[in-house]
Amino acid sequence: MAFDKMELQKIEVWDGNRAAAQALRQSQVDVVAAYPITPSTPIVEGYAKFLADGYIEGEFVMVESEHAAMSGCIGAAAAGGRVATATSSQGYALMVETLYQASGMRLPIVLNVVNRALAAPLNVNGDHSDMYLGRDSGWIQLDAYCPQDAYDLNFIAFKVSEDHDVRLPCMVHQDGFITSHTAQGVHTLTDDEAYGFVGEYQPMNDMLDFEHPVTHGVQTEEDWHFEHKARQHNDLMTKVMPKIQTAFDDFEKLSGRKYNIVESYDMSDADVCVVCMGTSVETAREVATEMRAKGIKAGVVGLRVIRPFPFFEIAEALKGVKAIAALDRSSPNGAAGMLFNELAGALFNTGTKALLSGYVYGLGGRDLTKAHLVSLFTELQKNVDAGKVTTPLQQFIGVRGPKLSFL
Amino acid sequence: MSENKNIKNLKEFSTSADRFEGANLLCPGCAHSIIVREVLNATNDDLILSASTGCLEVCTAVYPYTSWDASWIHIGFENGSTAVAGAESMYKALKTKGRLKQPDRNPKFVSFAGDGASYDIGFQWISGCMERGHNIMHVVLDNEVYANTGGQRSSSTPIGSSATTSPEGRRSYGEKKNKKDMVSIMASHNIPYSAQVAPNKWKDMVKKIQHGFSVDGPVFINAVSPCTTEWKFDPKDTMHLADLATDSLVFPLYEIIDGHELNITYRPKTVVPVEEYLAAQGRFKHLFKDEYKHLIKEWQERVDAKWAQLNRREEARV
Amino acid sequence: MANKGWDEFEIGAMLRTFEGKIDDIAGTLQENRAYSQNSSFVASVADWRIIKPVFNKDFCIDCQFCWVYCPDISIISRDKKMIGIDMDHCKGCGICVEVCPTNPKSLMMFPEKADEETELAAWPAKNEEKK
Repeated sequence: MAFDKMELQKIEVWDGNRAAAQALRQSQVDVVAAYPITPSTPIVEGYAKFLADGYIEGEFVMVESEHAAMSGCIGAAAAGGRVATATSSQGYALMVETLYQASGMRLPIVLNVVNRALAAPLNVNGDHSDMYLGRDSGWIQLDAYCPQDAYDLNFIAFKVSEDHDVRLPCMVHQDGFITSHTAQGVHTLTDDEAYGFVGEYQPMNDMLDFEHPVTHGVQTEEDWHFEHKARQHNDLMTKVMPKIQTAFDDFEKLSGRKYNIVESYDMSDADVCVVCMGTSVETAREVATEMRAKGIKAGVVGLRVIRPFPFFEIAEALKGVKAIAALDRSSPNGAAGMLFNELAGALFNTGTKALLSGYVYGLGGRDLTKAHLVSLFTELQKNVDAGKVTTPLQQFIGVRGPKLSFL
Repeated sequence: MSENKNIKNLKEFSTSADRFEGANLLCPGCAHSIIVREVLNATNDDLILSASTGCLEVCTAVYPYTSWDASWIHIGFENGSTAVAGAESMYKALKTKGRLKQPDRNPKFVSFAGDGASYDIGFQWISGCMERGHNIMHVVLDNEVYANTGGQRSSSTPIGSSATTSPEGRRSYGEKKNKKDMVSIMASHNIPYSAQVAPNKWKDMVKKIQHGFSVDGPVFINAVSPCTTEWKFDPKDTMHLADLATDSLVFPLYEIIDGHELNITYRPKTVVPVEEYLAAQGRFKHLFKDEYKHLIKEWQERVDAKWAQLNRREEARV
Repeated sequence: MANKGWDEFEIGAMLRTFEGKIDDIAGTLQENRAYSQNSSFVASVADWRIIKPVFNKDFCIDCQFCWVYCPDISIISRDKKMIGIDMDHCKGCGICVEVCPTNPKSLMMFPEKADEETELAAWPAKNEEKK
C-alpha cells in the first residue's frame, strides 16, 4: 500500500459531506468522476484532497458536467473497480439519463445525493425534489437523517451494491445544508475496520479482464427489452432487502449502531404518526415526545430504504396506528405526494383502518418547525377523534399566503 | 509503450486476425466497418472500445449478438468518449494499486462515434476528454449526416447537401451552413495528435492510428465515411467515393502534432474537380440545376482555399 | 438463439464474445477462436444478398485490396493469400469486385441463385481496352 492511513478520533466533528468523503476514503474508492454542485461539492473535494495528501490511491476525474461525471463512473465501473461520486439538484437532473443506464447495465456505483430543490426558480437549499426525480431509476436508495447516517450508510451502500447477487447502483441521500453542512459528533470506524467491512472490490463482467472480453450496453428491442427490465426489477424487489438487512446486522456487530429498513420511533402504542424522510425524522421525533406529554400518543416512521420501497415493512410499522401523515418534501405538481401514494398502496389491502393524509412541506429549504409538527399531530388526533379525515387530503404547510390545500 | 505492429504492405496487413465480426447489421457497402477494421487491425495490443449511439452502435450490439471481440461499451449518444475515459481512469487506478488481472498488457482505449455524436451532441464530452489528457483515441466516423435516424443534417453536413431537415426544394438548395472544422477545434486543445483519415488510404490511416497509439495523451481522428444510404450512391462504389473525397481535396488528409505542427500526408497526383465528387452523389444532385450551378463553383473555391490554407500552415509550422 | 425467459440470461444484458478464456485475440485467427453463441460471427446475413461475388483464383494476384476494403470481414485471407469468401457474412455489396485490379477481374458479381461453376467456366477473358 502506497498510501497512509488516517488516525481518526473515536468521535469526530463532521458535517454530512465530510462524513461521506471520509467514508469514500476508507472504502478506498478506485475512481471518482465528479462535477461540482452545491451543496454536495465538499464530498468530492474531500476525495480529491485525500488523494492529494496521499491518504488514498485512485483516480479523481474532474469532468465537465454531471452527465459526464456519471458517464465516467459507468465506464470506470464497467472496467471493474470501486466507483463513487456525489451530486445535487440540477446536477442530478442532468445525470438522469445516465442513472437509468447505470442501473440497466447493473453497475455498482455509489452516488451521494445531497438533496436540493429543482429550479425554476433556482434554489440551492434542501428539499427532496431531486430524490423524487430519480425514484424510478432502478437504483437502491438509502436515506441519511444526520452526518452519522451519511457516514455509515456509505459503507452499507458499497457492501450491498457490489454484492454479486445484487450489482445495482446505490444512492445515499442526505438533506442539503441541514445534514451536509451541519457539523455533529460522528462516531468513526478505524480505517481497517471500515475497509474490512466493505471488503476488497470483487470484479464481475469487468472490461479490463482481457481474457474474457465483454460487451456492455447492448440494444434490446421488443423481443428482449421487457425480459431485461423485468429481471432488473425482480432483483431489486427480491434480492436487495435481505442483503441490506444482513449488512445492517453486520454493521451493528461492528459498530454497535443499529439501522432498520424502516425506522420506527415510539410506534408500539402510537395513535398518530408522521412518515417522513431526512432531517425531518429527527425533528418529528422530538415533537412526538413532546406530544406524548400533552396526552397525544404520537410516533414517527422514517424511511431508511426508499428503493426498493419497503412495502411490507412499512405496513407492519403502521399496523396499529389510527392516523398517519405522509410528509412529502417535493411538489407533486398535479398529484398526491409520492409518500402519500406509496403508503396508500402499501396499506390499501391490509386490515388497517388508519386515516391517511398528506402534507407538502419544506420546499426550497423552508424550515419544518416544531410548531408545524405540533399542529400536524393535533390535526391527526382530531382525525382519530372524529373517525375520519377532517382536513383536505393534501395540505401545504409553512407556505405564506392563504391556506393551500387540495383533494 | 508496446511496439507498433509491423505493417509494411497490404499483404502483411492481411495476416491480421480481425477483432470485429461480420453479420453485423450495417448496410451493405458501409464504410464504417472498413474504418473500424483498419483502426483495430493497426495494433495487436488489447483494446477497450466504446461506441456512441449511432449506426455503428445499433448495428453491432443488438441483443443477443455482439460483433466486438474486445471489451466494448455503449452508454448513450453523447458520452462514448467519457465512457472510455472512465475505463482508462480505472485502468490507471488499478495499475497503481497493483490490482490488474493481467498487468503486463498495454491496452488501447478507443471510442468510435458518428459526426452527430461528435460534432454536435457529444462535443462537450469529447472536448472534456481531450482537455483532461486521457490516454484515449476518439475516432469520428464522419458521414456528414445523422444516418441512423434517417438523414438529418448535423454540423458536419456540408453546404448544398440535401438532408431531411435541410431538404432541397423549390426554394432551397438544402444545407446552408458550412461544415464545422472539427480537426482544428480538437487540435486547439493542444493534444499530441489529431488527424483526418480516409479508408481508401489504408496505409496513411494505419500510420496515423499507430502514431496515435504511440503518443501519451488524447488523440482525435476524423475519418471520412462515405454513406451509401444518405449520400445516395451504389453500395459497390464506397471506395470510389472515398477516392473522390480525398483526390478532390474535399477531404484532405493531414495530421496536426501537438496542436501546431501540421503535415499534409497525401497529395493526389491528379486532383479531381470537386464537381466530380458532387456529381457522384444523390445528395448533391439538385446542385446541377442551372440556378444552383454557382454553388458548385463556390464549392471548388472553398476547397481550393482550404487546401491553400493547409499548405500555408504546413509551411509555416503553425 | 432461442428466446429466453427473464430469469435465464446475464444481468445487465451483458454479452460475452467467447466461450471461456481467450489469451491473445489479435494473435488468434477466427477458425481457432471459441466464439460464443452471442458473437455475430456465428450468425448469418446471407439472406440479405441479391447478388453475390464469385472468386476466380486463376486471375488473383493476392493484392489484398478486397480483404482490406471488405466491410463485412468476408474475404478470407490466410498467409497473405486470398483463399475464399465467407458467404455467411457477405452482404453482396460488390466493393471487392470494384477494387479488384486484375484483368479480367478475379471477383465478379452474379445473381444470388447463379451456379458458381457455370460462371467460373464462362469467366470473361482479358479486356484489352482496359488500362
